[in-house]
Amino acid sequence: MPSETRAEALLEAGGKRLHPLTLLFAALGVARQFLFPVVVGGISATFGDWGEGFVLALLVLAAGSLLAAAARYGAFRYRLAGEELVLRTGFVSRQHRVIPLTRVQNVEVRQNLLHRIFGVAELRVETAGGGAEPEASFSVLAEREAQGLRTEVLARRRAATIPAAVPEESEAAAEAPPLVQLSTRDVVLAGATANEVGVIAALAGGAFQFLDDVQLPWLERAFEAVAGGVSVRGAGLALAVLGVLAVVLFVGWIVSIAGALLRYHGFTLHREGGELRKRYGMLTLHEASVPLRRVQALRVEESLLRRPLGLAALMIETAGGGAWQGEQGGAEAFVPLARRAEVGPLVRGIFADVDYDAVRFSPVDPKSLQRAAVRNSVVLLLATSAGWIFLALAGRWPLLLGMLLLPLLAYGLARWEYANRGYALLPGYVVTRSGIMNRVTWIVPDLKLQTLQVRQSPLQRRHGLASLVVDTASGGAQSVVIDLARPRALALMDELTGRMLAA
Amino acid sequence: MTDSDPIAPAGDLPAPPGRDAPLQRLDPRMVRVWQASSAVTTLVFGGLVAAVVLLAGLSPWWILPLPLLGLLATALWPPRRYRHWGYRVGEVDVRVMRGALWRTVSVVLHSRIQHVDTRQGPIARMFGLASVVVFTAGHVGAVVEIPGLAQADAEALRDRLAALSGTDDAV
Repeated sequence: MPSETRAEALLEAGGKRLHPLTLLFAALGVARQFLFPVVVGGISATFGDWGEGFVLALLVLAAGSLLAAAARYGAFRYRLAGEELVLRTGFVSRQHRVIPLTRVQNVEVRQNLLHRIFGVAELRVETAGGGAEPEASFSVLAEREAQGLRTEVLARRRAATIPAAVPEESEAAAEAPPLVQLSTRDVVLAGATANEVGVIAALAGGAFQFLDDVQLPWLERAFEAVAGGVSVRGAGLALAVLGVLAVVLFVGWIVSIAGALLRYHGFTLHREGGELRKRYGMLTLHEASVPLRRVQALRVEESLLRRPLGLAALMIETAGGGAWQGEQGGAEAFVPLARRAEVGPLVRGIFADVDYDAVRFSPVDPKSLQRAAVRNSVVLLLATSAGWIFLALAGRWPLLLGMLLLPLLAYGLARWEYANRGYALLPGYVVTRSGIMNRVTWIVPDLKLQTLQVRQSPLQRRHGLASLVVDTASGGAQSVVIDLARPRALALMDELTGRMLAA
Repeated sequence: MTDSDPIAPAGDLPAPPGRDAPLQRLDPRMVRVWQASSAVTTLVFGGLVAAVVLLAGLSPWWILPLPLLGLLATALWPPRRYRHWGYRVGEVDVRVMRGALWRTVSVVLHSRIQHVDTRQGPIARMFGLASVVVFTAGHVGAVVEIPGLAQADAEALRDRLAALSGTDDAV
């Protein structure tokens, strides 16, 4: 039997279909989608000729959607075979999917009011795989079938999974002091330093206030000297616009502080047994916990503003969404604020064998410096090009010499960037670091590595450089070592592959 | 700029990046698949441009540049792309190399595989080719595709990888 697959054979032998009411729900879905435009079109049809054609076109489209839904229903088959869930989906391009039950993270039965009336339900089976959509979505099944399938999937998954030996800590540890406890002052500080814009605005606002009070004539003269033909009135207008902008940003800053207070008030992070538990919030109380063994990686973020203040934020990365990634999809700081000296103990509280403060970073390839300097020069030149053109048009040729400063600035930035890049291999962990504005340090256990990737952009290729992507199941961001010599990147990839196998 | 063939002429395969075992090429018919899909795209966009040009009453010469560019790309790009594709299914991992401009080499351990799909678009189906798509729990390199496999091979590989995928996915 040519091209007769095992999956297809399994489905042929005992594949099941969705509940026939699937067609009804698909039709309702289509109706919901098209109802509003059709009504609008119908109303306008009574006033003109266009509306009629519009309604007709919509009806044709709706009929097409209905047919497609019916075809999808006709093609869909599923079967629970042994330790696998086998699916066939798709109508234009047919897909077979085999999901090993040991991989299933979450099985959910959903039932809205209409589902309940008709005695059907939606079943969603999720693995840790990427994407917002569940790996298998059954819409709709008979209620009993959905519940039965859910029970069966969970039971077989349990049976198939080798019981993991998780060292359970004694209950006595439950009342240990929290890993983190933020005071109101800390939370205000977290909000105040949450983003650069607000602080810059506050400073700028202060400066403008100062200028306004002091009335420096030399500044206006300087403006005139630079701007040439532009009148002082023009400069004044520009100042006013900037002033308004500063006020807006300042208000934003205050809102950011208030927001932090509302959100993070009373933040505590406890380690209880094999779990991390966080509690916070002023009006809406948040309480969530995650098993320690589910922690995929730690991310220490030190923003430009927080670094001089000796502050950082710590992200605790977990797999595939949920309360731990925060409402903003991984963007929410897990520990909104930590002092530099507290980061080490905090990291050790989660990854017991990592001594954060003793990590020595290996630098990336020195050619990275050259590449970054050239790139920065080009970017700076483009970013300031309007100014240079203006100066040239105004005939201020001597000032154009200022362009010579750009490469110096570019090189300085490149050095800084280079100094902030690095990686370290600790026993059982990979540590990577990068970033100027926001310096990010990743700590990834070998055990949690998912895939490794060596990437090379056309520009990197000219310098023989490559980046190593160290990928985990954490959502949102990625850990990358940028600009290693290509052979080094490949060697590192192999070394880490070996460590993944050994872990 | 010399751009040597990273996988080298058929038969004599040099050391691929990383581990020592050689990479396998895709089915040569994949070049035709890419060319066909590129031609279809060219046709569609060329038709749109032609319609706009004619409706706007411009000189018909304006119709030409885009399809010509499309044809040139259709002729030249897929063979180049093909040279930079390679894969190897080893005892412990799957390694896939791809990309002529942005080049990547990905490694997926069998034990990290979440599930495996086969996929077949309409053009690939006409050529009897299919893709195997490997999913891991990762984020960036989470989905690794091996296109250009004879359909039966793709199905065999999918089943083999599904069987190899371990129970410890490290999530």
